[in-house]
Amino acid sequence: MPDLEQNIFTSPVPVIAASYLGPALIANQDADWDEKKLPLSPDDLVQKIIGQPMRRAGRFIKLVCCGALACVQSAPKEILRDKKVGIFLSTGLGNIDEILPFITQVFKHDGGFPSPNQFANSVSNAAAFFLAREAGIKGVVLTISEEEMSFESALWLAQTYLESGEIDLALVGGCDVFTPTAAEARERMNLTSDNSRGLPVGEGSSWLLLGQNQGKKLGDILLVCFTSPQESGLLLGAEQKRGFFLPGFRIKEDQIDNWKGKNWQIYDYLPSCGIHSVASAYGIAHALLSEKTGAFLHYNINSSGRHAFILAQKK
Amino acid sequence: MSTNGIQVSGWGAVTTLGWSAPESAENLLAGKVAPACFGGAPYLINNEFKSFAVPYEGNPLDKAQKMLECALDEAIARAELSQAEIAEASLFIGTTGGLFIRNEYEFTEEVRKNPDKESPPISCRNRGPGEVTQLVADKYGIRGMAFTLSMACVSSSHALVVAARLLEQGKIRRAIVVGFEPLLNLTLHGFASLLLYDYEQCRPFCATRSGMQIGEGAGVLILEKYKKSSSAKNKYKFSGGYLYNDNNSLTSAGLDGELVKNVVGQTLSLSRLGAADIRGIKAHGTGTKDNDLSEGLGLLKLFGEKLPPVVSLKGALGHALGAAGTMETAVWLSCLEKGVVPKSFGFSHVDPQIGFAPALENKPATNGAYLCTFFGFGATCTSYLIVKE
Repeated sequence: MPDLEQNIFTSPVPVIAASYLGPALIANQDADWDEKKLPLSPDDLVQKIIGQPMRRAGRFIKLVCCGALACVQSAPKEILRDKKVGIFLSTGLGNIDEILPFITQVFKHDGGFPSPNQFANSVSNAAAFFLAREAGIKGVVLTISEEEMSFESALWLAQTYLESGEIDLALVGGCDVFTPTAAEARERMNLTSDNSRGLPVGEGSSWLLLGQNQGKKLGDILLVCFTSPQESGLLLGAEQKRGFFLPGFRIKEDQIDNWKGKNWQIYDYLPSCGIHSVASAYGIAHALLSEKTGAFLHYNINSSGRHAFILAQKK
Repeated sequence: MSTNGIQVSGWGAVTTLGWSAPESAENLLAGKVAPACFGGAPYLINNEFKSFAVPYEGNPLDKAQKMLECALDEAIARAELSQAEIAEASLFIGTTGGLFIRNEYEFTEEVRKNPDKESPPISCRNRGPGEVTQLVADKYGIRGMAFTLSMACVSSSHALVVAARLLEQGKIRRAIVVGFEPLLNLTLHGFASLLLYDYEQCRPFCATRSGMQIGEGAGVLILEKYKKSSSAKNKYKFSGGYLYNDNNSLTSAGLDGELVKNVVGQTLSLSRLGAADIRGIKAHGTGTKDNDLSEGLGLLKLFGEKLPPVVSLKGALGHALGAAGTMETAVWLSCLEKGVVPKSFGFSHVDPQIGFAPALENKPATNGAYLCTFFGFGATCTSYLIVKE
């Protein structure tokens, strides 16, 4: 059973649609942003994408819904109708923007009654529930958290559901929000000068709609694997394709130079979105929506030394 | 997806009733169940909320870590896993609070040590729920796939279903599924703010029920493809795992029982069993008005007069939120191992809207299928069978 050793897909998974949203809160566009001015209000974005305010929802929930619905809206109309759709929301830190004010209220009032709405928003899977409701999806709805491997884990799991036929389509994405301060945000992600690139902290909500579709596709996800470059035999195949290398935020400059030395072109998406746990989702969606064609290889390592690759292809 | 070929080869639990699954089961079956009480830990700031704490003298952070390790060590020992087998296992953690306890403990210690200073703003320094998974993977040398499901009350029950289907698909060799949830001010105050906390007693399915009471603990199940060579006295199969998310209500699984009936019906169908084949039900049974009503009605609609004994463990263990799935299942397994289906605690009056009483006496646990259900925040539903052979 060769799959078992490397957790590699047995067949390419078509990407029907994608979207990316970074700290500037403009969907599918690169825009200037400044870590010192974060976080921006998402209300205009909510109005634009959802068409009405989400008054009782927290910021994390709003960004999850906006990012995912932007993806669905860019797919052919009625794409979800009569299909079994799974939602796979990945997040490193979740709705910390709601947890912090809630727990502050708890300690401030020493046992009083903090806002029930804020608590409801702070529960870990509230965002996936709101998204399921907005998108009209019932069934497999999972919230997966694995620090900087969150998106890769969700993508791998979604593929297994597609392969088994339990679902027809998978809406897979990653969302993490910037919650001040920047120093605390860096600590939560375990970012030090030794283990990550010296870039600002950002945020994002970036999504892929995966599955078979009769119409056009953006590209394919060829593999997600959790082995080192040396261990992964398939990477030799990928290397021969000489495509674009997308360095994750723990890949330091000297390692990037190594890949450059192997004739990979560097596709550096991180300045557009800043460091956040699920930045790889932004990178892959950004690449697939770019005008470039070829192989896109995203690589990251977590702070315990675990590797994760995503290989996408666009013809 | 049917999971007929999956065996529970090991389990372990730390609960308010004991530092192992057999100890918890023994106390449960003997009726040595203390009611929830105030305090429970030095960092809990409010004395209005009774909870089911795991007894421990010492630093709460050490206790949290010890809960996790005791449950893991117990399950690994029971499954007789070698270090190589542990290394090639995949890890599934279900938790909603993760290591948030660190923030609460450090903050309250800071305040306690500096009574004359204005209290600082509480900071959140933990790395999200995935931090627990990394901690376990690093300590035990687990090198397979790693997933953290952070889905409130169904976190670890969903993790069991996901793990079982990956085993069935041949995507992983072995699954170590962990539920972990220390007591938190965050959740105690949170459920109280939603008016879902019972200030007196947790009373699942009772007409007088008025909410849940929070517990804490850890539970671990090890799932593998069926091993014929196992030396265990009894074998336990994991079957019919089904998870489903509705999108109608954030806080309840409906009120008419239809959703519950459909979810449990799927489990029976996946296992090719009928209602009459079920020997007992370990219900979710939180003690909240809506949850127990929808669950009770759903079970009655599906089983009718064939309704087997229904047991909620939350009157004895409290609601351990993300840990409830594996923790309650591990204690249930130890009860089955002792040949007894436990009674339900906290019940006094039949709710006419529900129309039945949960099991009020321990009963013999014969071989056969036992249903486990979980219905959580966010309209999440999990259902599966534990089959004693």
